[in-house]
Amino acid sequence: MEFAWTEQDRTHRARIRALLASALPADWQVIARHGPGSREQTLFSLSFCPQLAEAGLLVPHWPREWGGQGGTVWEHFILGEEMWAAGEPRGPQYMNVNWIGPVLMQFGSEAQKARYLPPMAQGRAIWCQGFSEPGAGSDLGSLRTRADRDGDTYVLNGQKIWTSYAGMAETCFLLVRIGGEKAGKAGIAVFLVPMDSPGIEVRAIPSLIGHGDIHEVFFTDVRVPASARLGEPGQGWTIISAALANERVGIPRYALARQVLDDMVGLLQARAGFADPVVRLRAAEAAAACDAARLLVYAVIDARARGIAAEASTARLAVIAADNAVNDFGMEFLPECYHGDGHPALLAHHERAIVTGIAAGAAEIQLNLVAQRRLALPKGA
Amino acid sequence: MRLAFNDDQQMFNAALDQMLGAEASEFRTVAEWGRWDYGTALDATLTENGFFDAAREETLGPVAAAELVMRIAARPVVVECAASALLLPLLDMDLPRPCAVIDGEARVVRFAPEARSVIWLGDRPRAALLPDSAVTPGETIFAFPVGAIDTGALDWRDLAPDPAMVRARWQVALAAELVGALTGGLESVLTHVRDRQQFGRPLGSFQAVQHRLAADAVQLDSARWMVLRAAQTGGTGDAALALGHAQNAALRMIYDLHQFMGAMGLTLEHPLHRFTYRAKMLRTALGGPSAALRAFADNYWGVS
Ligand SMILES: Cc1cc2nc3c(=O)[nH]c(=O)nc-3n(C[C@H](O)[C@H](O)[C@H](O)COP(=O)(O)OP(=O)(O)OC[C@H]3O[C@@H](n4cnc5c(N)ncnc54)[C@H](O)[C@@H]3O)c2cc1C
Repeated sequence: MEFAWTEQDRTHRARIRALLASALPADWQVIARHGPGSREQTLFSLSFCPQLAEAGLLVPHWPREWGGQGGTVWEHFILGEEMWAAGEPRGPQYMNVNWIGPVLMQFGSEAQKARYLPPMAQGRAIWCQGFSEPGAGSDLGSLRTRADRDGDTYVLNGQKIWTSYAGMAETCFLLVRIGGEKAGKAGIAVFLVPMDSPGIEVRAIPSLIGHGDIHEVFFTDVRVPASARLGEPGQGWTIISAALANERVGIPRYALARQVLDDMVGLLQARAGFADPVVRLRAAEAAAACDAARLLVYAVIDARARGIAAEASTARLAVIAADNAVNDFGMEFLPECYHGDGHPALLAHHERAIVTGIAAGAAEIQLNLVAQRRLALPKGA
Repeated sequence: MRLAFNDDQQMFNAALDQMLGAEASEFRTVAEWGRWDYGTALDATLTENGFFDAAREETLGPVAAAELVMRIAARPVVVECAASALLLPLLDMDLPRPCAVIDGEARVVRFAPEARSVIWLGDRPRAALLPDSAVTPGETIFAFPVGAIDTGALDWRDLAPDPAMVRARWQVALAAELVGALTGGLESVLTHVRDRQQFGRPLGSFQAVQHRLAADAVQLDSARWMVLRAAQTGGTGDAALALGHAQNAALRMIYDLHQFMGAMGLTLEHPLHRFTYRAKMLRTALGGPSAALRAFADNYWGVS
């Protein structure tokens, strides 16, 4: 057991930091203020990700065949940690790197891989994830958007909601129900849908969590070729499980939280507000929450690096607690920083923190999973 | 970053589990409403087989020693292990075990009636042999043997290692013991809620029960990793954080464990109280969570 980084990992991290230091502009905090889905940050990603690709730091963990260097699980993870701590300059493209690309490699046809993977590896592909619907949130298996076969094409009808990045995405990783097939999870399929297909309408939803982040997407008689379907018939839910497993520990949110906590303490020290022992205690509790999350996430990554699929919900819950502990600390002891736009890093973290317990599987769903998988408690009624 | 036990540590853990699984470490009630049961037989087996020397072995080290403490403390019988496994190997003198530690008042010292040596922490850490004549056994609700130590009657010798390092090691040891006690409590409650039926279904199938135990498990798992990290790195900040985090987690967890055990958990016929009352005492050690966490804050960010 060794809690220090290898020389190789340290070098890797230093390279990423050096690149960030030279590639991020002076007003980066302002660009990043409204989150990865904002127009500003999405546009920035289209110039930043090609630089990362050039430096071999966009998809280092992908196989060489698809533009990667066959890097280690830890190298990929360190990359994610540094990017998230920097405010995610990859914008929506982190999804391609973390899970859409790998899922396409695993389940895609040769034509799909050839079409979609190179632009991802070059850093110029924007995707969105069409899972949730008005009637299907936590209970994803109840989704109703349908795909009906018509000769060589499928006709899509239905509605998605909370779709991040849909406003600027070129392609949607879309979950649908195949018309006429059995109900439940077995009837679910994945389609890769060009967002400029006739019949798709996107509406931004004004929200607390970043400009242009979440959307409604309407599908009215949208025609896609049968070749847009991902995987074999009946494989839909397997594909989703693979995608969610990668997504759930995909974002090392504690990395930004921990950094913002240091910023908060710095602000308090500058105005002699850190002498109060209660404030120091609460800061340490928030730091403990960040470290708890970091260690539990590391345990999952370490297992993965050894080829073991570890339960990820325990780590997710600790990540949720960490984001909230830091946000609560700031709002309690530095409330004035949440007025105006003088503290973009705190505001941006605030918006990410209020999302953590809801997106990618609500906290309560994670608690169900921990109870059943980790504690072997009987399934609820 | 390599978070698996090495081969030697895995063998060590497996051998340890065998000893801990023996009948001698099972729960038995103690006559006259006794709240604790010193594991004399287990103590002897572990000593004979050299388990308390793990921290001195290069391939086992403090990580294996901390794991040892966590696993022993999860048994219903109580054995002095934290000081033996993590403090004694740090010292330049050969002290006999069990070893009591004065880390607060000398009036109530855990394990004093069983101990053959004593370490006195503070600005000037010292150690001494502990004859029975210097100990007055005491009464406590906290499921440990305790006693008062007559410090004036002992022949103290100063310890060579840096006091901050000794203190950090003791923080890790206490955190390990606390995590172990909470683990034992959680296991006993999980068994109970899987089996016990009310309203025609197991208690553990109710979401209100599941969610609280799951939240407790998250805290406990992270506390466990913090203990292992602090043992491995030897850092003072890591040690303070490990103890503070475990002590913070304990409060809510102790409440939940007793809630879900119902009336049975208030009897001396079920082992739960052994774990929770040890945890209640360990939760307050060295000033409790606020002292440990403020020490971390001072260490990390500076005092003001
Ligand atoms: C910022 C943001 C971005 C998002 N981006 C996307 C995206 O790009 N693509 C996409 O498809 N979706 C996206 N989502 C949607 C997200 O996946 C859903 O919000 C999530 O799955 C929860 O669904 P819901 O909001 O409908 O809540 P509901 O399912 O209605 O649940 C509401 C609450 O009820 C409780 N609850 C629900 N089920 C249970 C249960 N079984 N046991 C106990 N409690 C329960 C939980 O507290 C939960 O938070 C995004 C959400 C947010 C906030």
